Amino acid sequence: MVEREVTVTNRAGLHTRPASMIVRRGSQFASDFYIQKDGYEINGKSIIGVMTLAAEQGATLTLLFEGPDEEEAADALEALFADGFGEA
Amino acid sequence: MPHHAAPFRKEALSVAELVTHLRTDVSVGLEVLTPEVDLQANQVTESYLHRPGLALAGFVELYTHQRVQILGNTECAYLRSLDATARRDAVQRVLAFPVPCFILTHGNKAPDGLAELMRESGVALLRTPEPTTEFMALVREFLQDQFALQQAVHGALVDVYGTGLLLMGKPGIGKSEVALDLVERGHRLVADDVVIATRREANLLMGSGTDLVQHFMEVRGLGLVDVRAMFGIRAIRFQKRIELVVNMHLWDADEEYTRLGMVQDMYELLGVSLPMVKIPITPGKNITVICEVVAMNHLLRQYGYDPAEVFADRLRERIQQKQGPLPQRAVEYFEHDFE
Repeated sequence: MVEREVTVTNRAGLHTRPASMIVRRGSQFASDFYIQKDGYEINGKSIIGVMTLAAEQGATLTLLFEGPDEEEAADALEALFADGFGEA
Repeated sequence: MPHHAAPFRKEALSVAELVTHLRTDVSVGLEVLTPEVDLQANQVTESYLHRPGLALAGFVELYTHQRVQILGNTECAYLRSLDATARRDAVQRVLAFPVPCFILTHGNKAPDGLAELMRESGVALLRTPEPTTEFMALVREFLQDQFALQQAVHGALVDVYGTGLLLMGKPGIGKSEVALDLVERGHRLVADDVVIATRREANLLMGSGTDLVQHFMEVRGLGLVDVRAMFGIRAIRFQKRIELVVNMHLWDADEEYTRLGMVQDMYELLGVSLPMVKIPITPGKNITVICEVVAMNHLLRQYGYDPAEVFADRLRERIQQKQGPLPQRAVEYFEHDFE
């Protein structure tokens, strides 16, 4: 199990486009992928789930990975958040 | 066993929310006798209620001041029996504690000076015409639900023939597709992808969707589908007891699958054990029909008919009769209407 703390940096927050980017990237790995926000946890490979987080700019999320490629998956998703999904 | 999300629960409810919910959702008459007090400021944090008779009489050890305080006939009669000074002392003794609110039941008139003292301490005084015991039962039930343990579950919840069936499995296995297929066949969707499970009682789990998503679902290749807009009101519902788990996963040759249904697999969710059926996904398998059969089998079992038991009994009887080595033809004589 790998755990990473990330922050939503783009102004619009996790709206539909970033949410689908997260799901698409997460689904490329075999590992299970979960996201937590204030004790609420969803499956990171479910777009509806990611959207229910309704995470705003500045929100802190915990990413959890479990599986054979958990390290690679964690790095990939962390990079996606660090990049602000290519948005300002 | 897959990773389990942590359960969560509501930490606090403001007195303002309590009043609104009791009026609208529980249909209880409730008037605020201290309109000057800010109802947002005081928080209820527990589902238990308390009648502060002993505390008013002077015994404040173990006083559960953090609970909603109920002033019934006894408490009111006691306060009225005191002279003005003693009454003031009694009320101030309980108001020295951080109390969320006081509720007069049975339409009791506030004993003289009570409302003023509450106002000065910034504690709300409410009144209901309901009898004490009935009112306490209603409020307790409401608060128990508000502070119940909850958990977000990745799955789809569908009402199949009145049975709350929770479809689970890895992302992409086809839960949404099966849910959609069930809806198409006349069953009702509660939620897809994110189901919020709430433990109402020790053995009772309720499921609902989230306020944001409601009856939207994502179908891979199609995008978002609004089941309510597309199929109408008959295709949805907002809450359903979770009674059964159908766990979908890819066929695994090493996995032992239930063949006769003599042993029931269980799935633990928020401390409640739910009967679980593990379904391997193989080509040509109609999961929707299997879900319907699973639900109907559950109903039969609920009403005391267990097909596996019935068949086992029949077999046992046959063995005891020692009727011979070969099974008999089911029809003894074929009459002329050849079907």
